[in-house]
Amino acid sequence: MKRQLFLASSISAIAGCAGISNKLNDNPTIHKIIGSAQGLDHAVIGTRGRARLYSERDIDRNFRTNGFDTPSDSTYGGLARDGFARYALAVDGEVERPHHFSLAQLRALASLRQITRHDCVEGWSAIGEWNGVPLARFLALVRPTARARYVVFHCFDRAPDGTPYYESLDIVEAAHPQTLLALDLNGKPLDPAHGAPVRLRIPTQLGYKSAKWIKRIQLAARLEGIFGGGGGYWEDNGYEWYAGI
Amino acid sequence: MDATAGPAPARAAQGERHRLVYRHSVATRLTHWIATLAFFVLVMSGLQIFNAAPYLDASDKSDPGRRVVDIGFTTNPSGNPAGYLRIFGFQIPTGHALGFTDDGLGSETGRAFPGWITLPGYQDLADGRRWHLFFAWIAVIAGLAYIVAGARRRDLALIVLRPSDLPKLVPMQLYYLRLRREPPAYGKYNPLQKLAYTLVLFVFAPLVVLSGLALSPGIDALAGPLTTLLGGRQFARLWHFAAMVGLIGFFFVHVTLVLSTGVVNNLRSMITGSYELGKHEGLGP
Repeated sequence: MKRQLFLASSISAIAGCAGISNKLNDNPTIHKIIGSAQGLDHAVIGTRGRARLYSERDIDRNFRTNGFDTPSDSTYGGLARDGFARYALAVDGEVERPHHFSLAQLRALASLRQITRHDCVEGWSAIGEWNGVPLARFLALVRPTARARYVVFHCFDRAPDGTPYYESLDIVEAAHPQTLLALDLNGKPLDPAHGAPVRLRIPTQLGYKSAKWIKRIQLAARLEGIFGGGGGYWEDNGYEWYAGI
Repeated sequence: MDATAGPAPARAAQGERHRLVYRHSVATRLTHWIATLAFFVLVMSGLQIFNAAPYLDASDKSDPGRRVVDIGFTTNPSGNPAGYLRIFGFQIPTGHALGFTDDGLGSETGRAFPGWITLPGYQDLADGRRWHLFFAWIAVIAGLAYIVAGARRRDLALIVLRPSDLPKLVPMQLYYLRLRREPPAYGKYNPLQKLAYTLVLFVFAPLVVLSGLALSPGIDALAGPLTTLLGGRQFARLWHFAAMVGLIGFFFVHVTLVLSTGVVNNLRSMITGSYELGKHEGLGP
């Protein structure tokens, strides 16, 4: 009886501890204050330098997957059945030359193969060889207007509640020479689990920035008005838009 | 020069009973309490972040073959989950304390560290990172301010362990264990205090900051040798965790000694700055 009472009171004391943490975390003012570090991190770290390049023997042949399941909608399923022969990547928004790129056209532009480490926000890392179109080269082709400040990636996948996945990069940072529209992983065309047919691969930021299953790239002057306005699915759900740390 | 190091022996010789000194400057006291708050927030939010990938590998990329620490749970044949902590291959059963534990919302779930010790209590990596990345700045700024202020007042020189302190470490420990009647002669801080503070200020704190920075892909691109020096990104996570364990170890020793060597006097010195020297204090170098 005494022991039960002791256990019950310790459990409630311990639950109280989590309760205080939860209350502090749920306070909107505190939440806003602690979110202010992001701007400082972005200014100090940014997207400078070069991600480390690895050699063949470092590659994870069984590259880990994460995030949402492979898109199950009929559009994506139909495209995948034909080996993405009818796939077209739409580019629109603040560009002088809105355009659709077929997979063959993208393949013709592919000019960068690099072995880099993928760092997940959860803490794990995996190394893969990526081949694709340098985003800087791609952007130069579509000619962003002077108003364009962000590159927004719209994807085929959705959260279980139906919210579409999307991501965005600052247009200057998007032109970092190691940022790729990846088409191949470890010498083979991307499989559906790894983001086929086109995904982003940005080794200087955390994995959630490297959006999979891209269907449309939008150049935008501002992020407000695009879904939740946070600049990405995870950003709309509390994660930092600047994912360099 | 600090008040306790110079004139104290003379006053002791006069047999003064109350040797009240001004022990800690405003900067020291302020940065001490800011760092304390930051320490709590960083440990709790850090454990929240750890929960998202509850294992540590001595490698660059994740590699189960080089796993050093792993927290998880297994379900026994009767269907009851029980947690475990695996260190260097040794499996320690942890019941409902780690691995399968308090979810921070009044129930239990598969989760490395329990909700009562994480920030927030419930599992939320995004918010854990928010707390962690904000208070990391606070801790670094407070730490640097402490070092700069200490160096300017020459307090720092009194806290650093010197070769001449080494022979005094064992006698001091024997004195603490009551196996020796008198402690060796010392100044503002005794040799064991100097050892502890030197480890915290010049080993654990820099290691925790550098290994934390090494986890960032942006910083890795900017300062690649840092991550490589620490053995890679996953190894940096292991260093970050190990340095935290070192700091928690210091915290417990520190609090035990604060409580057992005159808690009112000790706390007062860190609040108002005023401290009454013990009969052995401030007599030596």
